Amino acid sequence: MSTSIYERLGGEAAVDAAVDIFYRKVLSDDRISNFFDDVDMDRQRAKQKAFLTFAFGGPNAYSGKDMKSAHARMNLTEGHFNAVMENLGATLTELGVPPDLIGEAAAIALSVKSDIVSR
Amino acid sequence: MLRFENKDYPIENGESVLDCLLRHGEQVSSLCRSGACQSCLLQTTAGAVPALAQQGLKDAWKQQGYFLACVCRPQADLVIERCDAAASHESVVEAVTALAPNVIGVRLARPSGFEFRAGQFVQLSRASDGLMRPYSIASIPTEDHIELHVALLPNGQMSGWLREAIGQRVLLRGPFGECFYQEGELDRPLVLAGTGTGVAPLLGVLRTAARLGHRGEISLFHGSPQLSGIYLRSELETLSDTMPNLRLFASLLSGPPSELGSQGRWQFELAPLDQVVFSRFPKLDSHRLFVCGQPALVQSLRKRAYLAGASLSRIHCDAFAAPHSAAPAA
Repeated sequence: MSTSIYERLGGEAAVDAAVDIFYRKVLSDDRISNFFDDVDMDRQRAKQKAFLTFAFGGPNAYSGKDMKSAHARMNLTEGHFNAVMENLGATLTELGVPPDLIGEAAAIALSVKSDIVSR
Repeated sequence: MLRFENKDYPIENGESVLDCLLRHGEQVSSLCRSGACQSCLLQTTAGAVPALAQQGLKDAWKQQGYFLACVCRPQADLVIERCDAAASHESVVEAVTALAPNVIGVRLARPSGFEFRAGQFVQLSRASDGLMRPYSIASIPTEDHIELHVALLPNGQMSGWLREAIGQRVLLRGPFGECFYQEGELDRPLVLAGTGTGVAPLLGVLRTAARLGHRGEISLFHGSPQLSGIYLRSELETLSDTMPNLRLFASLLSGPPSELGSQGRWQFELAPLDQVVFSRFPKLDSHRLFVCGQPALVQSLRKRAYLAGASLSRIHCDAFAAPHSAAPAA
């Protein structure tokens, strides 16, 4: 397998550039903002960083079980999932990431859809 | 299982360390029960506490195992001690002055060895019975006394007592909090926003900025239901005489038109504090913010500041803990 998007984008620095753009987008998106509206914003930002690292194929502590149990009780729909995907795409577009790399990140995120969506 | 001062207590799944200790008859101070006021600080000497139980603590304290018992729901066994992180300092109430209809200034002798940064807060306890409340420091470290601003609450046990407490002995624990001036960026624009006695720590930040010759624009916003609550007007006006980069704004929720608009150094507006701040600052990507006062407003301002481009590491908050509803009023 070729090097990950994570490495091709520039590693942790790329995630750091993306995380605030992404977190602001989901916090402003009425479809999903309540899932991200945490009193502890530092902790919530760290979660978004872990998610982006995962979507970029970078080193991360996510496991399938974590992903599933973390989202199990949120009763998430396909609409919620798609909203996150849109915000991910828009974030990477804003950063000037080429479309083929955005496609790769989207494919990684899509691979866990069945662990996220519960209805 | 919790081991607290060499006694073993079974803890229920999902129960906080604070609730477990209280249930077993231990005396542990607490106030807000939401991880904000830091009254219930304890230390673990073995076992890991969840990250949430250490939110808002300084890194050195996290490494030493200090945590907040009210929001600590441990996943594994813990060995716990009472904390000595913040040693108690003895002091005495030297003066009490009325600052506003519902606010008093309490001047304390500065204990030797008590170090703090302007804008931090302390836990003040009554020497006679240990009743304890958090208050922000409005004075700066170069002064030989400590000035606290205390909101007078209806039936407030501590605030009611403090009104008549000249000459009484108190204990100070702390300091706590991260709401203080950051050195090394004299040109950065600053936004200071607070409600009620939230202006006390902001005054500390502002006076530090003045002392160090801050050059960036500083905008101070004070919110109160009515004009009488905007209680540091003359002090702030005096400061602004020496600080051409300081702008003063007041947010009022009621009042006649004659009290609004430009009045001397102040701009008075009939609008909630967040509205007054963000109508002036739709973009905050280069600013540093200090936000103090009512928890709901602090949280709302923090979120909106972040959405307006401010980095989380440049938003310093001090949400004033109100007593948990099950606890007696302050």
